Amino acid sequence: MEEKIISYSNLVSLTGDLIKTGCMVICEDKNGTGWKRIENPDEIKINHKEIPSNISYKEFVFPKTEPVFYFKSKKEDYDLIEKNAQPGKIVFLGAKPCDSRSVEIMSKVFNWDYKDEFFNEKAERTIVIGTACNYKDEFCFCTTVNIDPASEKGSDLFLIPLDENTYALKIVTGKGKEFIQPYLKYLSDGNPAKSQEALAKIKGPDKKFEPSKVREWIGNNFEHKLFDNIGSTCVGCGQCAFACPVCHCFDIVDEECSYECGRRMKNWDACQFGLFTLHSSGHNPRENQNKRYRQRIAHKFKYYTDKFDEILCTGCGRCSRGCPVQIDIAQVAGEINLVANQV
Amino acid sequence: MNIYKPELMEVIEIIDETADTKTFKLRFKDPEIAKSFDFKAGQFGEYSVFGEGESTFCIASAPTRKDYIECSFKQVGKVTTALRRISIGDTIGFRGPYGNNFPVEEMKGKNVVFIAGGIGLAPVRCVIWNVLDLRDQFKDVTIVYGARSVADLVYKRELEEWKNMPGVKTVVTVDPGGEDENWKGEIGFVPAIVEKTAPKAENSVAIICGPPVMIKYTLPVLNKLGFKDENIITTLENRMKCGLGKCGRCNVGNVYVCKDGPVFTYDQMKKLPAEY
Repeated sequence: MEEKIISYSNLVSLTGDLIKTGCMVICEDKNGTGWKRIENPDEIKINHKEIPSNISYKEFVFPKTEPVFYFKSKKEDYDLIEKNAQPGKIVFLGAKPCDSRSVEIMSKVFNWDYKDEFFNEKAERTIVIGTACNYKDEFCFCTTVNIDPASEKGSDLFLIPLDENTYALKIVTGKGKEFIQPYLKYLSDGNPAKSQEALAKIKGPDKKFEPSKVREWIGNNFEHKLFDNIGSTCVGCGQCAFACPVCHCFDIVDEECSYECGRRMKNWDACQFGLFTLHSSGHNPRENQNKRYRQRIAHKFKYYTDKFDEILCTGCGRCSRGCPVQIDIAQVAGEINLVANQV
Repeated sequence: MNIYKPELMEVIEIIDETADTKTFKLRFKDPEIAKSFDFKAGQFGEYSVFGEGESTFCIASAPTRKDYIECSFKQVGKVTTALRRISIGDTIGFRGPYGNNFPVEEMKGKNVVFIAGGIGLAPVRCVIWNVLDLRDQFKDVTIVYGARSVADLVYKRELEEWKNMPGVKTVVTVDPGGEDENWKGEIGFVPAIVEKTAPKAENSVAIICGPPVMIKYTLPVLNKLGFKDENIITTLENRMKCGLGKCGRCNVGNVYVCKDGPVFTYDQMKKLPAEY
């Protein structure tokens, strides 16, 4: 894998060039709430040693709310109008390894049969410039779900911080190579020994549970008493799903724009909401928060893996950090693991 | 291709089934699609009133009848209330067909038992006509249909038609207290009437659809009559939005009801987590 060196100031210049050529450069915002499109290259933030943003950047590929078509009535008929997608690359700059695989993981469900062009069109325009991560706190558990904080997996280009002002830049994919080609002037020759040294210092969080064990146990113990009060403290706010880099459930609703016009929207939704599965008859297959939380755990660590061979979790810990009632998903999975070990 | 964009359909006929249930006959506005559209018994669609949203119903007409589709719906929520206001000549949206289907091909040469309750007759009716339109390819046909009251029976004109067809045994029942002075059919709950009708299990397939409580009490009756779990087929009617295996709300375990279903054998259902 080709490796180069880029200074912080050259990274700023590169960003400036990208913005000028019409790229959407998406960076973590300064106060860590989320990610935003930057207009000024001085706003870049490569967060490799601080707490991850409150929410992930998935909204730039899978927006919170997105029109899928517009409709306009004319007598008894309708015109259905589609808006053309915007061109230009979407560059995620400074993605930690727990973010950089999110598009790839979600892409499985958006493509397993019917292809969701709204997702794909944006996913194809994506360039991930990842960063090795030196941060860990009590909520981090990337290593548990097989994500290495020192790994370039999921990135097209990968930054390894060498000191305050210098990064090694690994050119990971063909897409990344092509992308960086016009900007080689900002790069100098790499020194793999130095970046290896930096990567070797990264000690990820300790493993908190064994996902394969949790998966197997859930499959055999759906009615286990452990699930009877698993969601008893959950308030069903849905923060966990909205902050998550890979939660992808959505709703489809109509909005009126004017008397004769409207649009059909695809909006984020969450399995923790009581209305999510409520039938019009009043029957609700997941009638209480315990069943809804069981669904959350089971979808992440069993169902998605059964179906798509991916764990639907990157171990970023956002759901746990942001939970208003301190539910820690890794702790819950850990408890399941403990029970599984007792069998 | 935009998988969320519906085709436009014109409402060409409206039938009032009961006080709160209507059947729409629909035709694609685009003649090309009208010609090429095909589906299998048991598949469903997303029907939309623009400005109100989409609702999921089965295609209630049979695939053997071309040029149109039918859907039956009960007024319960926002979209079905809007659909109720629709008149002949109006335009609605349709996406589909989605999901798997009843194994009509494998049912050929066998006896077929149809059991339905309330508006659960809609998906079953699709298979009934499919079978009856190819009558000589199937053996005995038995239909047991029940509703809360005489006023709640749907497809009344067709119930009469089936009753008069040779080689078709049609038993219609209403719940006790749901009969009126002119009622000549059975009085009793569907499970009891199935037991009384006692269709033979040998070389037979049972298709059952209706309220969960009806299904729950009818399944043991079918087992008692000798029907094997793999020969009892039903549809799961989970809440859906996309119909495409993406939006996540119809999941039962790792199964997407909208794609892996909605048609399941009792055998398959027993293997699912009990969350439907």
